[in-house]
Amino acid sequence: MANENVRSDTLLEVKDLVKYFPIKGGFFGRTVGQVKAVDGVSFTIKRGTTMGLVGESGCGKSTVGRTILRLQEKTAGEVRLNGVDIFALSREELRRVRPKIQIIFQDPYSSLSPRLPIGEIIGEGVREHKLVPGNEFDDYITDIMHKCGLQEYHKDRYPHEFSGGQRQRICIARALALKPDFIICDEPVSALDVSIQAQIINLLRELQKDMGLTYLFISHDLSVVEHISDTVGVMYLGNMVEFAETEKIFDHPLHPYTEALFSAIPVPDPNYKMKRIVLEGSIPSPANPPAGCKFHTRCSKCMEKCKYAVPEWTEVEEGHFCACHLFNNAEQNARAEQAMKEARTARPAAGA
Amino acid sequence: MSEDKNENMVPGQEQPEYALDDERRVKVLSPGAMVAKRFFRNRVAVLGLVILTIMFLFSFVGGLVSPYKEDQLFYTETLQKKEYAGAVKNEDMRFMGAEGQDFSSIIQAQVVLAVTTRKDVVTYRDVNYHVTQEGQDFYSVALDDGTTIGIAYTDVVSSSIEGRKLDFDFVFATLKAYTNGQDAFTLDGDSYTISEGGLVEKDGEELAFVSRYVINAISPDIFLPREFQEELATSLEAGDDMFTFTDAEGVESEYYIDYKPDVKNWIVRQETYTRTYDRYAAPSREHPLGTDRNGMDMLTRLMYGGRVSLVIGFIVEIISLIIGVILGGLAGYFGKGVDFLIMRIVDIFYCIPSTPIIIILGAAMDTMGVDPQIRMLYLMLILGFLGWPSMARLVRGQILGLREQEFMVAAEASGLRVSRRIFRHLVPNVIPQLIVSCTMGIGGTILTEATLSFLGLGVKFPFASWGNIINDVNNTFVLQNYWFIWIPAGICILLTVLAFNLVGDGLRDAFDPKMKR
Amino acid sequence: MAKKQNDGYLSAKESRRISRENRRITDEYEKKRKRKNVPEEEYLTTMHNPGNAVEFDNLHTYFFTDTGTVRSVDGVTFDVPIGKTVGIVGESGCGKSVTSLSLMQLLQRPQGQVVEGEIRLNLGNKAYDVTKTPNDVMQKLRGNYVSMIFQEPMTALNPVFRIGDQIEEVLKLHDTGDHTEEQIKQRTIELLQLVGIANSEGVYKMYPHELSGGMRQRVVIAMALACNPRIIIADEPTTALDVTIQAQILDLLRQLKDKTNSSIMFITHDLGVIAEMADYVVVMYAGRIVEKGTAEDIFYHPAHPYTIGLMNSKPVVGKKVEELYSIPGKVPNPINMPDYCYFRDRCEMCVGQCRGEYPNEVSISPTHKVSCYRYYDAKGGDTDGE
Repeated sequence: MANENVRSDTLLEVKDLVKYFPIKGGFFGRTVGQVKAVDGVSFTIKRGTTMGLVGESGCGKSTVGRTILRLQEKTAGEVRLNGVDIFALSREELRRVRPKIQIIFQDPYSSLSPRLPIGEIIGEGVREHKLVPGNEFDDYITDIMHKCGLQEYHKDRYPHEFSGGQRQRICIARALALKPDFIICDEPVSALDVSIQAQIINLLRELQKDMGLTYLFISHDLSVVEHISDTVGVMYLGNMVEFAETEKIFDHPLHPYTEALFSAIPVPDPNYKMKRIVLEGSIPSPANPPAGCKFHTRCSKCMEKCKYAVPEWTEVEEGHFCACHLFNNAEQNARAEQAMKEARTARPAAGA
Repeated sequence: MSEDKNENMVPGQEQPEYALDDERRVKVLSPGAMVAKRFFRNRVAVLGLVILTIMFLFSFVGGLVSPYKEDQLFYTETLQKKEYAGAVKNEDMRFMGAEGQDFSSIIQAQVVLAVTTRKDVVTYRDVNYHVTQEGQDFYSVALDDGTTIGIAYTDVVSSSIEGRKLDFDFVFATLKAYTNGQDAFTLDGDSYTISEGGLVEKDGEELAFVSRYVINAISPDIFLPREFQEELATSLEAGDDMFTFTDAEGVESEYYIDYKPDVKNWIVRQETYTRTYDRYAAPSREHPLGTDRNGMDMLTRLMYGGRVSLVIGFIVEIISLIIGVILGGLAGYFGKGVDFLIMRIVDIFYCIPSTPIIIILGAAMDTMGVDPQIRMLYLMLILGFLGWPSMARLVRGQILGLREQEFMVAAEASGLRVSRRIFRHLVPNVIPQLIVSCTMGIGGTILTEATLSFLGLGVKFPFASWGNIINDVNNTFVLQNYWFIWIPAGICILLTVLAFNLVGDGLRDAFDPKMKR
Repeated sequence: MAKKQNDGYLSAKESRRISRENRRITDEYEKKRKRKNVPEEEYLTTMHNPGNAVEFDNLHTYFFTDTGTVRSVDGVTFDVPIGKTVGIVGESGCGKSVTSLSLMQLLQRPQGQVVEGEIRLNLGNKAYDVTKTPNDVMQKLRGNYVSMIFQEPMTALNPVFRIGDQIEEVLKLHDTGDHTEEQIKQRTIELLQLVGIANSEGVYKMYPHELSGGMRQRVVIAMALACNPRIIIADEPTTALDVTIQAQILDLLRQLKDKTNSSIMFITHDLGVIAEMADYVVVMYAGRIVEKGTAEDIFYHPAHPYTIGLMNSKPVVGKKVEELYSIPGKVPNPINMPDYCYFRDRCEMCVGQCRGEYPNEVSISPTHKVSCYRYYDAKGGDTDGE
């Protein structure tokens, strides 16, 4: 709490974040299992940059976003925003910090309250936190709306009268009006048409330049992520498997999953011969993930130790992290072999 | 990225020329208009609305327009056989004491004793009473010194002149003459004549008459003339059950005679026009729906009854609504412990048998003699209090669903206060369902209230309510003969509840955004 | 809640007038639809080119709504040759889904009506005009000659029936010969294997909720293939799926196309998917076709400014741009469209003629057609750009 105003280069720091959802079963509602939505994720974001978080459904990227904002309680780990531990704040303090950390949701159709006019939706947070003096309020709202490509006469309209792209603009305006430092964009363009996607992405970049915002851009659309992000993290089944600067990761992805993911993107060129790596099987359930490396059931380069030993998060090159046994150094290999032996004696005949 | 790039104002045209992608180009319906349109497209719902409007006007405006009051009684003249007189044939001995003499009942009893034992003298408390037979069934009683203290007789002497009482000596002389078959006698210098039939006259003026029958009018201020009594006596002798009599003004009336053997007397009834309550009158121009059991105008009662039923329906629903929304809202929003507690309370309420409770409370209020107006108030409170659980469950369910919607998460992410989130974001989205549920609920409440009033537990006389009106029909006679009592009230209830249900259905369809039309 | 301003909203009188108008028009159409025992000659027709599976000829499908007449499909003409894949590209509101629904006659009645035009369906020995076909005949065609794969695999299957039952239902419905239960079951398991489901016996007995999105979409494809239809309509089948699963499904569709020789109408807004799958491409905008041609024509020589804009707006992995190109403005509301080029207000390459009426279709090459004034004088000579 004391270091609220420390201006360091790092805006967000996430360490070993864990979020499990209990599965209640049995007669008395006992917890019979856990959905391991986020299983130990660590990364940092520098001020004024954009980090892209990619992965498929069930990998936990949305959960990471919401947990960072404390819209859900964590199970373990640490989240520091501007040096402040988000989870150590009281309810009231948290409420007052909220304008600084905003989120834009995926579905523009359900993230706007259907019975309030747009002006209200955008302005109520501002009024609540008294960010702008009373007499400047209307002008401020109009200004924000113009920045987001909306017109003043939209203020009295209701959400259902707008198209998807415009609703997303309204959501952006709502987030922007609170003068945030950090915005989590949770798949903001997935539900929109291609030409509108481009507009929204350009808008987000413009706003970042003008207002010095920091983004965590969550998406499953790799081409968009590549365009907008400075760093990229790839998630699979609750773990981060690779993290690096955008150029590096798209240039030479290390982790087999990242490779497969990148190769699956359709390229708008009819004569392009895809060297597509098609993954076998489907994504396992996060309630019952495979032992060892969670990806080993679908990996084409799977080794014996991958079935038993969890790979460690290593910095393979400068700024390029990966969690895969293919890039273990000697020590890590030894540890992995050890883990394999132990697991074998405890549980003979491993299953996939 | 402004969108009104190509907005041109073309002079003379009403609508400015908008660019194709400017959404002002196409006008849409406002949210309220959309709901209204979908509602009015639904013909059945519109029908329900029309019926409701009619019922409301009928109940609230009708009461002001109607010339009668709710509990105004109506009278009518009906030809009724009213009890007029009673007659009895005198078999027992009667007594009359002379002025100033002591002729108490104990002495009378002694006289009776003497007569039956054929004694001349009887002694009581050292006083001798001499009983002398003066004529047939006629005795005089005197003291030792010869003073007559009283008489015993079976023929009754009645005065012919209204208001004139007969004195002792006159009666004595009359009876003496009559029982001895004389046709004249003198008393104090006046001469009187007695006819065979017992008519006593003096100088042609009728004064009294003698008869075995004692005839008295039921009402103390009616004087029965001698002619009447004679006629009656003749009829009684003859054993007739009817006779006609023309009185002094020439009005001829019929009289009906009923013999009551157990008390050995006759009741004489006269058919007169009496002013009675106009009960069960058939529909006519003054009373379009006739009158009810108490003589009150049905149509007016129906109007006032409608007022009562509708108001009770609304107020009960409002009470349920307020309690239900607050508790359901708290339960839905806060979840966990609060939700658990409130839902268990709801469960308890569901286990309460409402009908026995209302019956018990109704009976309790009867014994306490609660004022009908207060009673209505209690009724509303009780019904409202028993009705909130269903509303609470509905609201809770809605809120549980809405709570997880993204706009609520967004509101939380904006750092809004809890109260603002609940009242500005959640509640307005619950209102459509609530409106629907309330309209249906009012219909149900009206039925409940009608049932209770029918059973006598709800609205009490003199206040009217539709159920209360139907309460009259508890035997088949009324059911078959007086259709105007129960059919209109039944139809009113049917139409009102049906209309509420139709409107509720129509509203639900109109608010549902997923409906195709 | 804020007060409502009446400008911008329809007045009651206006809306009543519109409703009355709508009712009159739709009643007419509905009456025609509801006739019984329509003779076959009414909808029997011949294909203009027997090598086509479906021919759309000047199709106009309108929706008569409370706010006006929505011209969802306003003069669409294209062919789907036998054994080829035609990709229909466009954004929301352009009418691509409505086109496919018109083919299946699954429009939302009574608002949606085919007002004009023909859709000729090739049934081998004869051809039907689908727009005039009565409902009972149509039911025999659906699932049998024309089948559809929908966008949402999570909701496309009935949750209370087993997978095997659902596929068998399709087979039994269109069963011409007397196949026994056993034969039908065999065919079902064959189909499941055909779509790449390894555990076909197991999945046969499962319920939909036990399967993942990708698996469900495979089941839906199996259902679509069950009766060997001549044309499969795939309406954004992979939009709701993850990238890796999408890759699997697209691979599967490509394999099946080779095996079964049915045509596929592939509807999507994703240019990458079109490039992979389609032989021919049709680009739609606001209810009309703005460009059509082979995949090479469209991707290597895009002609219409909208197509060019679409190509440029999509970020491509490996292609570095400072700012993404975006087409200014947005897709118009298709009510009461005027009679000039619909893209005029957003186009950055307007020429003088664009002020006039809606441009007609011009041929740039035998296979490549476009509706744009920029190519009007292509045959003649001077034109700006190509």
